[in-house]
Amino acid sequence: MVDAKKARETREPVVGENVVRVDGAAKVTGGARYVDDIPPMPGELHGATVRSRVPRGILRAIAFDPSFDWSDVTVVTAKDVPDNVVQLIVDDQPVLAAERINHMYEPVVLLACSDKAKLARAYAAVTLDIEPLPAVFDMEESLAAETVIWGEANVQNRYLITKGAADTDESEAAIDVAIAACEVVVRGSYSTHHQEQLYIEPNGMIAWWDEAGAHATGSLQCPFYVHKAFKRCFHLEPEQIHITQAVTGGGFGGKEEYPSLIALHAALLAKKSGRPVRIIYDRVEDIEATTKRHPSRSWIESGCDRDGTLRALKMRVMMDAGAYVTLSPVVLSRGVLHAGGCYRWADVRIEGIGVATNTPPNGAFRGFGAPQTIWAIERHLDAVARQLGLDAGELKVRNMLVEGDTTSTSQTLRGSVGGTECVERAFEASDYLARRRAGPSVLGRKARGLGCAVFMHGGGFTGSGERMLKGKVAVDLLAGGRLEIRSGSTDIGQGTETVFAQIAADAAGIPFEHVSVAVPSTTHVPDSGPTVASRTVMVVGAIVERAAKELAARVEASRRPGETFAAAGDRLLAKEGPQSALVQYEPPAWVNWDDKKYKGDAYPVYAWMCDVAEVEVDLDTFEVKVLNFWSAADVGKAIHPLMCKGQLEGGSLQAIGWALSEEVVWKAGAIVNPRMTNYIIPTALDAPPFETFLVEAPYEHGPSGGAKGIGELPMDGGAPAVAAAVEHATGLIINHLPLTPERLFAAWLNSEAAQ
Amino acid sequence: MKVAFKVNGVQRHVDMAPLARLLDALRGPLGLAGAKEGCGEGECGTCAVLLDGVPVNSCLVPIGQCDGREVVSVEGLGAIGHLSPLQACMAEHGGAQCGICTPGMLIAAEALLRRNSDPTAHDVRTAIAGNLCRCTGYERIVQSILHAAYELRSSDKGAAE
Amino acid sequence: MSLADLSRYEFARPASLDAACRLLSDREKKGARTVLLAGGTDFMVQVSQGGAAEGPLPLVLDVSRIKELACVSFDGTTLRIGAGVSYLELQRDPVVREYAPLVARMTQDIGGPTIQGRGTLGGNLATASPAADGVAAIAAYDPVIEVKSSRGTRKIPIAVLQTGYKQTSRAADEVIVAVEFRAPAHGSAWCWRKVGTRLAQAISKVAFAGVAEVHDGRVTRVGFAMASVAATTALLPNTRELVRLTPLAQLTAAAVDAAVASDVSPQDDVRSTRDYRMHTAKAVVRGFLRDLGAPV
Repeated sequence: MVDAKKARETREPVVGENVVRVDGAAKVTGGARYVDDIPPMPGELHGATVRSRVPRGILRAIAFDPSFDWSDVTVVTAKDVPDNVVQLIVDDQPVLAAERINHMYEPVVLLACSDKAKLARAYAAVTLDIEPLPAVFDMEESLAAETVIWGEANVQNRYLITKGAADTDESEAAIDVAIAACEVVVRGSYSTHHQEQLYIEPNGMIAWWDEAGAHATGSLQCPFYVHKAFKRCFHLEPEQIHITQAVTGGGFGGKEEYPSLIALHAALLAKKSGRPVRIIYDRVEDIEATTKRHPSRSWIESGCDRDGTLRALKMRVMMDAGAYVTLSPVVLSRGVLHAGGCYRWADVRIEGIGVATNTPPNGAFRGFGAPQTIWAIERHLDAVARQLGLDAGELKVRNMLVEGDTTSTSQTLRGSVGGTECVERAFEASDYLARRRAGPSVLGRKARGLGCAVFMHGGGFTGSGERMLKGKVAVDLLAGGRLEIRSGSTDIGQGTETVFAQIAADAAGIPFEHVSVAVPSTTHVPDSGPTVASRTVMVVGAIVERAAKELAARVEASRRPGETFAAAGDRLLAKEGPQSALVQYEPPAWVNWDDKKYKGDAYPVYAWMCDVAEVEVDLDTFEVKVLNFWSAADVGKAIHPLMCKGQLEGGSLQAIGWALSEEVVWKAGAIVNPRMTNYIIPTALDAPPFETFLVEAPYEHGPSGGAKGIGELPMDGGAPAVAAAVEHATGLIINHLPLTPERLFAAWLNSEAAQ
Repeated sequence: MKVAFKVNGVQRHVDMAPLARLLDALRGPLGLAGAKEGCGEGECGTCAVLLDGVPVNSCLVPIGQCDGREVVSVEGLGAIGHLSPLQACMAEHGGAQCGICTPGMLIAAEALLRRNSDPTAHDVRTAIAGNLCRCTGYERIVQSILHAAYELRSSDKGAAE
Repeated sequence: MSLADLSRYEFARPASLDAACRLLSDREKKGARTVLLAGGTDFMVQVSQGGAAEGPLPLVLDVSRIKELACVSFDGTTLRIGAGVSYLELQRDPVVREYAPLVARMTQDIGGPTIQGRGTLGGNLATASPAADGVAAIAAYDPVIEVKSSRGTRKIPIAVLQTGYKQTSRAADEVIVAVEFRAPAHGSAWCWRKVGTRLAQAISKVAFAGVAEVHDGRVTRVGFAMASVAATTALLPNTRELVRLTPLAQLTAAAVDAAVASDVSPQDDVRSTRDYRMHTAKAVVRGFLRDLGAPV
């Protein structure tokens, strides 16, 4: 029995401490139950999805082999879908294709059977009759709109950001004049490719129906996305929908919006069969059908002084949304908002265009558009430095935003601007400036070089997003002075449960062990908003803190002299019944965002980071090995420093993988390499040792003394830092990802030919 | 086919098709869901178990080859309340984030530490090179295993003294 | 979804090599197919990714416990490696490490530890993928492959064993028993260079194995082999001849490149490109020759 009074009086603060993560023991013993570890329910069926396998066309007929025994196979087609729309931003994506086929892996028929082997045979006994139509796979071809595959002209979204001279004239004329007036003008084009999230646990979902309504449990980031999708598709009342997160084996955005579709599929089969249905994707299906990072192309023209002072920026960013809109407008938005990088520009014109192609919809992936544009701007600054004869690191430092400066959206940075300290720490640890000056070190056929990236990443939803979202959290008082947090925010590995418990424990002044976090289930938790956008700690954590404080204050107010917190709490519960605090997020009052002009406080605050990569390039084979990776990140306040570093390092390695080896290979709309053996993520031998420093420039509205969101941040810098290091080592300038040995070899051939 | 083998120190029997995967035997009739299926083709290592002391991908081992042999899965390393030093270090030093690769990582690390009580960071990276992790960047996994090696050495020394 | 149905396969585990041969012979006479299963690192992937096979399925014959396939020995001249020895065992075997260090080194580049503990040379030789690192490594030693059937024992030179892409001259009733080769002079130069898609869990884009005995600036015994640059493991005959006939000091990069180019016929695939492979093939051969002192 824990002596609550003693524990309370002797408790040490846990914020800033590396407590053992609350799910640690379950995860190291094999006891954590991921969706496919949940034992089968009585009568449960396995579900499977028959896909179009044609990139664009018209579905003429579905044939079911008459010689096959269909008696114990449940079949669902578009006709069985009450409202055939996946609820998200735009109602363009069907739950099952009814007539139009818009990408290779469009779900058309669902099957369920208790016998997995028979299910496989049933799958083979379905034939789709699809009349092919010309398909579009290339962004520029899409923009040309000779073949219209989406809307009127294939363009899903456009954004325009202007500042300074460009404010007066929305055409390009004003910015062109501003650039022409500069002493040095640099132009370049940059591009990025698809990236698969490749969480190690594939997507999966179990759904069933009972008198309470529809249930779905599975691997997911955003239970209320699934909830909204069910409400729409099945026309249910909110209280008839019960969505619960199972332990989730990684997400990185890949389990943000897509799980809604799998849950709907399982629920459709469950509804028709009257049985629980489990759909677990195998790896091939997961890679083929689920979302990826949006490919991008950027064109930049910039003007600066001869001394390196940046002046004017004109940029055009195009992103490939894929066949449907899904979250692309928001991805493109974050992309353009980060496109100016962390630099001071007086005159800005940034244009963003999202176009459709006949590829599976691209979607959320850590960084959410920003890694694409930061790749472009960082590589562009490397080009500017090259032209000026300056070191890129020095150029970046000279132009970095500091407190009081204005961003591309004319937002004035009000504080918590730790970029300078990040650069200092990372440069010092890596001896960046001296080693850059010394030039590459070449030993035999191997060359080593260093490169850096400096960047900032906005925390929370864009602009007025949090104001509209109204995220909520509840904290309940339990017996014995314990608190339970109820939140829709999910732990997908990043440590949400642990950090929330730390925040609440210190806010309430109770031991860490006295705080628990409820399983995110839409039936029991309020909608805290999705687990995305680097918002969980910073935004939801802030209301966890407020709710815990509010509830503790209530207990304190009723506490008698000499009475323990636990006893006071128990008495309060006995006297007044259940006690809980429900708090809704309010963004800082000064946040001012104009959604029409795309101007103002795009994000309340930014986390900052500087990466320095050291690479060794084999001059014979063009293999690139990242030898060392130093980073310093301004996280506001590190609530759990160890997990914080773990997030930063994991994100950096995803960025390094994206830069060097990860590539989705396409052939006529199909993915050629949908397997872990040929979609190449780094192993422990490919990963560099990471040396990570935490900088704390507190954000006044962040929880626990100023925490900022950092989930996405590290995804932004790894690729440009590696590319700059490869350039330093070899002189090869690569502006188009990925830097595979084959592409470096081709660049080397070109440079040899040029000489 | 009836197969008798030792699982986590206990004699067990299953009756399955001989080509059925050891992974399915563990997760199905044996009720041990610790080993996961991440790829089904021996790439990710999250289904790793020890087969006669050697780490293998249980998705590539037909149950017919397991008769008379000894399997150790993550459940055999220690349980909640009785974590092995390796498990405890993995939880304490940031080696587990989403946790899906953790069972296989632990098996690979266990195999290493049984042979090499004083590994270098490179030894550790080599030992876990068949286990993909997408969360951590591997740094904290390597540190966790090095911590465990240190603790095991310290306790061995303590026992010897 | 995966269409694999593992439950339909039949399985047998013969107690000895002779029993395995008898079983194979009986099946062969009946025209029934049989697959030999050792570590399963190819076969299990193939059946679980490959989908539902049409027609009768082959019998799976487990050879993983046949003792005759499990030995490593050295008689002072010839090294013999059992076909069923796992790559992990080869990695740790003192005889292999001493007399065929290239082979021991190569095993570290096979998949990762969980694959090394299962995969075997016999498996690599039988499936005959041109990307097999194990075959490339031993091919540099000009080995013979011992196969056995009820009809008797044959020793097949590696060049004769390989007949085409994933094809061998092994008859359907034959079991690969062992690989034998004359070990190079103790302390001879060797090279293993794998260029893969990553540093572990990788299939080779190009992998090169080279052994050389050098006397007075001349290469007196040479063995080269390369993975993933042709339909079969490439044995680089022209390059070998060039190196054998030319004093190291007189070798030129151009001559070596031309010889390598004549010996390989790489292709584009999901892992790499023809041009990159050609370039890399030349570069890795020159790298070894440079180490031997050639000005290339």
